Amino acid sequence: MKYNKLVLGAVLLAATALSTSCSKSYLDTKPYTSIEAGQALKSEADLLVALRGTYAGMRNSNLYGRTIPLLGDLFADVTYISSQNSNRYIDEQRYTITVTNGNASATWAAAYTVILRANNIINSAVTANTNVNQYKGEAYAARALMYFELVRLFAKPYTDDPNALGVPLSLQYNPSALPLRSTVAQVYTQIESDLAQAFNLMTTFSSSGQFSKYAAKALLAKVYLTKGEYANAKAAAVDVITNSGFTVATAAQHAGYWASATQRTDKLETLFEVVSDATNNAGTDALAYIYNQAGYGDMLAADDFYASFSATDVRRNLMTAGTRGGGPCFFVTKYNNVTNANDKDDTKVLRLSDVYLIAAEASARTADEVSARTYVNYVATRRDAAFTGYVSTGAQLVDDILNERKKELAFEGDRFHTLNRLKMTINRGANYPAAARTIAYPFNFRLYPIPQDEIQANPGLAAQQNAGY
Amino acid sequence: MQKFLLLLAMVFTVATVSAQNRTVTGRVTDEKGAPVANASVLEKGTSRGVTTGADGNFSLSVTANAKTLVISSLNFSQQEVDIAGKNSVSVSLQSKVNGLNEVVVVAYGTQKKADLTGAIVKVGGEQLENRPQTSFDKMLQGSVAGLQSMATSGQPGSSQSIRIRGFGSISASNQPLYVVDGIPITSGDGTRLTTTANLLSLINPNDIENVTVLKDASASSIYGSLAANGVILVTTKKGKAGKPRIRFDVEVGQNQIGYMNDRFRPMNSDQYVNITREGMLNSGMTLAQAEAALKTGTYGDYTRGYNTDWFNLLTRKGTQQQYNLSISGGNDKSTYFISGGYYNEDGTTIQSNFKRYTASIRGKNFATPKLTISHDLSFGFSKQQTPSNGTGFANPVYTAYVLLPTKPAFLADGSYNINTPDFPAGSPFNTLYLVNVDKRNTNTVKVIGNVAAEYKILDDLKFTSRFGTDYNNIEEVQFNNGVYGDGAADFGRAYSYYTRYFSYTWTNFLDYKKRFLKNDALTADVKLGYEAYSYNYFDESVRNDNLPPNFDLYLASNGSNPKTASSSGADKKRASAFSQVSLNYEDKYVLSGSFRRDGSSVFGVNKRYGNFWSVGASWNVDRERFMESVDLFTQLKLRASYGVNGNENGFGNYSSLQTYGYGVNYTNQPGSAPNNVGDPNLTWEQNKPLNIGVDVAILKNKLRFSLEYYSRKTTNLLLGAQTSRTTGFASYTTNIGSMVNKGWELTIGATPIKTRDFTWDVNFNIAANKNRVLSLYQDKDVANGAFVIRVGEDVQTYYTRLWAGVDPANGDPLWYTDATRKTTTNTYNSAQLTTYKSASPKFFGGFSNSLTYKGFNLSFDFYYNFGNYVRDALASLYFGDGTSPTRNKLVAQLDRWQKPGDITNVPKYILNGNRNSSSFSSRYLAKGDYIRLRNIQLGYELPKNVAERLHMNALHFYVRGTNLWTWIADKNLSSDPEQGVGSTTNGEVFIPKSITVGLNLTF
Repeated sequence: MKYNKLVLGAVLLAATALSTSCSKSYLDTKPYTSIEAGQALKSEADLLVALRGTYAGMRNSNLYGRTIPLLGDLFADVTYISSQNSNRYIDEQRYTITVTNGNASATWAAAYTVILRANNIINSAVTANTNVNQYKGEAYAARALMYFELVRLFAKPYTDDPNALGVPLSLQYNPSALPLRSTVAQVYTQIESDLAQAFNLMTTFSSSGQFSKYAAKALLAKVYLTKGEYANAKAAAVDVITNSGFTVATAAQHAGYWASATQRTDKLETLFEVVSDATNNAGTDALAYIYNQAGYGDMLAADDFYASFSATDVRRNLMTAGTRGGGPCFFVTKYNNVTNANDKDDTKVLRLSDVYLIAAEASARTADEVSARTYVNYVATRRDAAFTGYVSTGAQLVDDILNERKKELAFEGDRFHTLNRLKMTINRGANYPAAARTIAYPFNFRLYPIPQDEIQANPGLAAQQNAGY
Repeated sequence: MQKFLLLLAMVFTVATVSAQNRTVTGRVTDEKGAPVANASVLEKGTSRGVTTGADGNFSLSVTANAKTLVISSLNFSQQEVDIAGKNSVSVSLQSKVNGLNEVVVVAYGTQKKADLTGAIVKVGGEQLENRPQTSFDKMLQGSVAGLQSMATSGQPGSSQSIRIRGFGSISASNQPLYVVDGIPITSGDGTRLTTTANLLSLINPNDIENVTVLKDASASSIYGSLAANGVILVTTKKGKAGKPRIRFDVEVGQNQIGYMNDRFRPMNSDQYVNITREGMLNSGMTLAQAEAALKTGTYGDYTRGYNTDWFNLLTRKGTQQQYNLSISGGNDKSTYFISGGYYNEDGTTIQSNFKRYTASIRGKNFATPKLTISHDLSFGFSKQQTPSNGTGFANPVYTAYVLLPTKPAFLADGSYNINTPDFPAGSPFNTLYLVNVDKRNTNTVKVIGNVAAEYKILDDLKFTSRFGTDYNNIEEVQFNNGVYGDGAADFGRAYSYYTRYFSYTWTNFLDYKKRFLKNDALTADVKLGYEAYSYNYFDESVRNDNLPPNFDLYLASNGSNPKTASSSGADKKRASAFSQVSLNYEDKYVLSGSFRRDGSSVFGVNKRYGNFWSVGASWNVDRERFMESVDLFTQLKLRASYGVNGNENGFGNYSSLQTYGYGVNYTNQPGSAPNNVGDPNLTWEQNKPLNIGVDVAILKNKLRFSLEYYSRKTTNLLLGAQTSRTTGFASYTTNIGSMVNKGWELTIGATPIKTRDFTWDVNFNIAANKNRVLSLYQDKDVANGAFVIRVGEDVQTYYTRLWAGVDPANGDPLWYTDATRKTTTNTYNSAQLTTYKSASPKFFGGFSNSLTYKGFNLSFDFYYNFGNYVRDALASLYFGDGTSPTRNKLVAQLDRWQKPGDITNVPKYILNGNRNSSSFSSRYLAKGDYIRLRNIQLGYELPKNVAERLHMNALHFYVRGTNLWTWIADKNLSSDPEQGVGSTTNGEVFIPKSITVGLNLTF
């Protein structure tokens, strides 16, 4: 009797235990706003969603959101910081950069974050079809673009020393990896390989907010130009000019082109840009916010740069005279959607005008001055209706092309990289701090340091730090 | 301390009286009527004696005129029995140690105090009733040794930080587990927009019968992965059989700011203008320039003659009241308890208020002799208004300090001054205006319900099944008007946030209690059970901007520019098996052990299940035969316990998973990205507490001590491990790091005087804790705001430059260049950061007295806290030697250096600051030592006969003072000394002091 009741107790307990939660799956809970990584990239549609996340990563204020396009002009001779400022990028302007530089660290991390997103798409096992190939191709291009930015900011120019230390190559998801720096040449090899894949895989153009076949080719042209491989650069650039179907904005279109904040589907000018919209944007950390006087407005156009334009050049209209920090200056008005509640300025990464100027420079450097003048004048005459075109030759022609490049791509982050690839001295005007007006080549701080926090997590890089840090 | 009545039943019988001898028979029992074997029965003054048999009966031949028997037994107080004219007696012996048989609530049941092997403190409901505080966790301050309970804010309904035996975690939770009537509940601040709130404030403290605090492994390890920070068990009031008992309580009163250091009040107009002028001259301006500047709107143009006392306008005397009504009763078939309560408290700052409505119903049905069914339901609803904190321009506390007295609060026509010249963009708002227009409302519902069945399978085997739920529903509405203040830039902002926490727990266990051996010397209590827990979280967030100009239209629907529309959720599940064994041999030796196996969804698949256990032993030395002759001790008990438990709270619910996150959108289309590395080996923080205690009661229980020593080491601390950024991640959370807390606790209770009419009770407790970080990720320092987490140091160690005072020659601020304090520098960056003091107290405790004379009772309770340093985090803004010159300054700034030779600790006042003197240094750290009179109460209880004549059972009325007096050690402490466990000010609502009067009535 008593024994039976003991059994009854045990049975009661066991029964309740079984009925509540004994099954193994009881403890498996699923997150609400994320999914397990293994489930994230299983279909064509998944890849498209992940691809948007990859582009969204580029919008980070440490990449095309602000830092990358800003540094290209601030490190050079186009943009300077007003005395009335929000205390950003001061060390970059003064070339007093340290290993703990926050922008270097954040840009490094943000670029590799995008690379991981691209890697996962590239390495996903979704069965190939036209769309899958397109998405993978875009991911290849995105990865190439990130490595191109990294290798230009953190490593010596290829034109200086291809065997110098580049940046670590990370091509797979592996959170415990501690990769060391590959050489500059190895990084460029990877970039070219990725761009070749991109060009082969992509078939469709949907908008300027995504990579397309000829955007990848345009990037390849820029890569070759940066390496000093001018014949290749010219071939790639000419391919884009001839076959992409894109057109250069005319003088009449120029103001409207820059005022517009939406990605384009009309193949006008923009081969690739990183899109910001009303809800998804870098906010007060956006490039537009630090240029525009409705935002921080810290960044001003150098006086001598403004003076280099003729009055009939429409590009001069993207600057206006004003007063800030107690003195006259030139505001940058290229990005004007700071106060637009419906959309924000996109960041142009690759434009057809750039490709023309690549073709021009590459032609000039490969003894085809006729083509060089044709290409540079194609752009220059579309900016200044009164201008009849360059007729120069030799070194002067190259100088003219570089000058046109500076004017056309100002506030888009090109100038510093041009000066670095050509190993030229940076000559800055009186707007800049007296101690940092002449930056010779080579100079240690023309490279960002491998960030301190990266070295702490990946100690093998300590021995591979850039000189001077 | 519960006193047991001695029940002495005397049976008069007609007996045959023999001439010389007679025989007295009788029975000796304990309080509960169980027979006491082997008790000695002796005729007083003789050697005639016998011992009782197993049935407690005896028969003794005594002299004819014998008057008294002396009865003694090992575990009981000796007792004398009058036998004059009686031949038969029945004797009930009282346990030797007063209160030893007192029953306390422990995990999954109750236990006699004698059976305890762990560190357990019980706080009676009478200490929680009718206090002018919103939640019982606030009332625990000072009443439990080793339990630190600190308010961060005086906001009624605010959260309270509780640390039991120090900080056990760095990045996971440090709060204890709260269990109400056996059901683990969601506690803490569940809000997402509100500055501070507390889910425990939805529980009416008047509904609480008692609270038990479990501090060591033996007491708490049965709660397994939830027990590392201690466990607080709450038992609610239940009905008792008997005629209906109606109780009505009311308390009303007024509160105001509890403590102010007069040196740290804001300046008046003259003081502000004069020091600002001085600062301008010191900065190189000419007098003419200074005067011109002072006459601009930026500085409030003093020539207008205003002297606005913003502090007075923005703070206030608040009122508070509470009403509680309960009815309870029952019979042998069922009991019931029904209660309702209303509580309302205004904070010491405008826009600070808390209202609570509670109702509860609890019943028990004795369905059959074997089956008992019980059901409890507690419902709470609160409405809370909470101002912002910190340096928010809309924070009334911050603006009370920094709004310029030279600016008028009102315009000539009586309307609020919100004009731009006085309140330009980028400066603090006229918060007087905002509180009348903007909304910061929080409505919370908490429902705790449980049903339970107890079935007696055998007399000594019981099966219990309990299902309990905890439902919390929070609605937050914030409105920033579009005309002035935070919302102006967006033409008005309307936020609406919904948050829900729901959990259920189903517990099933067998409880087997059996006595063994001869005379039932060995008692065994074995529990074996299974528990399933499920937690579900859900939220929705809406923000809509650009609202119509009518401020009555403050909800998000009225906006025209939607900004936020988001929703999220989380689930957590736990499955556990547990058992506990307690063996008690003759109440002398007690051995206990517990084991629990927990599986939790929070952890990585490889480390999802963990085993937790404890062993404990106690020795009631006073029960030993050799102690019988030692009269001094009424109790002498030695205890020790050791075990393992865990911490799984504060981990996030999905940290172990490698995941892709969404909302990484592009071109207004959905996007995804990897967002967590995950760690399949992620598991609980492991805590290993050792506890050694001794309980002593002497002088017939008039003096009682408990001394505890503990050491608890926490390993597997959850921390971020760095990854190479080239992987696409910066870090992931994993189990690394360890920490130890060691300390001792002393509790003293004394009854120095006890007569028929007068009783004086004293209670004192003190606890000292030492925390040391033992290891970290690569043993590298972790920066933590003003603190550094460093191996070998207390986890709340400040990391700061050392202030060296002011250079008498020129008024420059000085800092020591390093910790050796040998050289000073006037350049902030030339001074090294060093570790300095801690925000955790070295010791703290309570001291309370209760004096009762006839119907009068006077009680007063002190709380004290010593050894920590308090940081004034806002000081740079109002005590920074000229920084932020358009903000008002503290009177203490007037002590500034003025001319060579001045010896002062306040540097020269220079417009826009003096050489970074306002940057964080030990200058802004002050000793946090304080003593506070938490409660003083004078009451009168109507004599019982008078009350009965008025058809009442009892009537008690009283006047109570809360926080009336505060002593601080450091005159440089700028704020109330109570600033949370982190000892850091943040412009929070001032902690109040209050005077209340109350009435308790029972029928």
